Amino acid sequence: MEPIIEIKDINLSYTLVNPKIQSVKDFITSMSFKKLFTKKDVIKNLSLNIYKSEVLGIVGKNGTGKSTLLKAIAGILEPMSGKIIVRGKIAPLLSLGSGIELELTGYENIKLLGSLMGYSRKQMMSMNEKVIAFSELSDEQLQAPVKTYSSGMMARLSFSIAITETPEILIIDEVLAVGDQGFQRKCMNRINEIHKKGGTILFVSHSLADVQRICTRGICINNNVIEKEGNLHEVGKYYNSLFEN
Amino acid sequence: MNIYHNNILRNLVIRNLKLKYKNSFLGYLWSLITPLVFLIIFNFVFGLAFDFIENYSLYVLTGLVFWLFFTNSTNEIIGSLFRNSSIIKSISIPLEIYPLSSLITEFANLILTFVAFIVLMLFFGFQFSWETILIIPVILIFSLFILGFSTMLSVLNIYFRDVSILWNTINPALFYLTPIAYTLEIVPEKFHWILKLNPLYFFFEGGRDILYSNSVPSLNCWIYMIILASTSMLLGYLTLKKLRRGLISNM
Repeated sequence: MEPIIEIKDINLSYTLVNPKIQSVKDFITSMSFKKLFTKKDVIKNLSLNIYKSEVLGIVGKNGTGKSTLLKAIAGILEPMSGKIIVRGKIAPLLSLGSGIELELTGYENIKLLGSLMGYSRKQMMSMNEKVIAFSELSDEQLQAPVKTYSSGMMARLSFSIAITETPEILIIDEVLAVGDQGFQRKCMNRINEIHKKGGTILFVSHSLADVQRICTRGICINNNVIEKEGNLHEVGKYYNSLFEN
Repeated sequence: MNIYHNNILRNLVIRNLKLKYKNSFLGYLWSLITPLVFLIIFNFVFGLAFDFIENYSLYVLTGLVFWLFFTNSTNEIIGSLFRNSSIIKSISIPLEIYPLSSLITEFANLILTFVAFIVLMLFFGFQFSWETILIIPVILIFSLFILGFSTMLSVLNIYFRDVSILWNTINPALFYLTPIAYTLEIVPEKFHWILKLNPLYFFFEGGRDILYSNSVPSLNCWIYMIILASTSMLLGYLTLKKLRRGLISNM
């Protein structure tokens, strides 16, 4: 079977303005344009195939490149070398509240976020009610500017928009943690439902329990590479072992 | 650009317009009040000194409308990538959309301003003629000129925040280098070439020819405008293409 996401030997690094250069004086005394930028490797020679209707759990320590990998798959970051082929439409949930405009109301934000996530006007109109129902936000709350919301309420808003329609590929980067228990459970059920309907899900989380509950396969990223891949139990054990020393 | 991108663009413009006047009491009226205040000041300060300029109020007004569109849209576009960085970092959308949405926002604002100011201009003795229609292509070419170099600055601004600060200092200098409150005639002939080095000069000349003198801008002026706009667009395109990769890590 052809993988829905094919990652072939990618390398990813960040180009940053050299943190040592903080003023014009530093720049002039360093006297070099080359030194102006520094490179930081985040992912090295990584290959991975993800198949349709898989739920892939991704674990790893902070700062090892999990989010960077997801960003590359979502088409936000371009790898320096290698290739990523994605055969489907992606609904990205990479950070909480991105795209949400605090001054606008909940209703206005639903429209805005829906368009950012790639829904057409027609689709938005037909899914509007479902989004509102899933978010469990009241009419009164949705008429208020989002700056009055708690972070949990904001999570409800962006999550509802991303998963109301069944996305072909759903990417979730640790955004569930802020919702209350009821909403978290609801989201987990919805993720299961999407999985059963044939959706593919990439799930990054620090909660091993969540990963083991909903995922079908796991990978553990460490030191910029995939160090462990396969069975959830083994990946979990390996992940835990990273913290024992 | 596909249908989804059109939808995104539309929603971003709506968002920008809503945010622009969200928390202000007078809202949209500000885009009328600001030029009006400028107009009054200019009439007071320069109107007497430049009393030989025929119909000074109309002269200043046509320049001001153009100038305010220029400063507002450059400012909006230069900040556009930075302001949308949270979206850029989490959803893959062509980056061109953000500067473009800022330009369209200011363009919509300009049209709203124009509708009200036509009344004022008629009061100052402006007359419609067939040449008036030419203001549309002039503004469109001017918009492309603004979009190009401002997009370049908005990209550079992500790497070095100094860019927008620098722009804020250059901006007033440009205002005085452009014949807005004065005419070219009052400047000694030997300095004219300096004023014409300012790319804005030709756009203002074109706009003035149409709205103030009811005449068609010279062929020379059209050619300059088109060359300037295409060069500017090319600069914007190339910077975005070259520096796109490093943008996200510096946001």
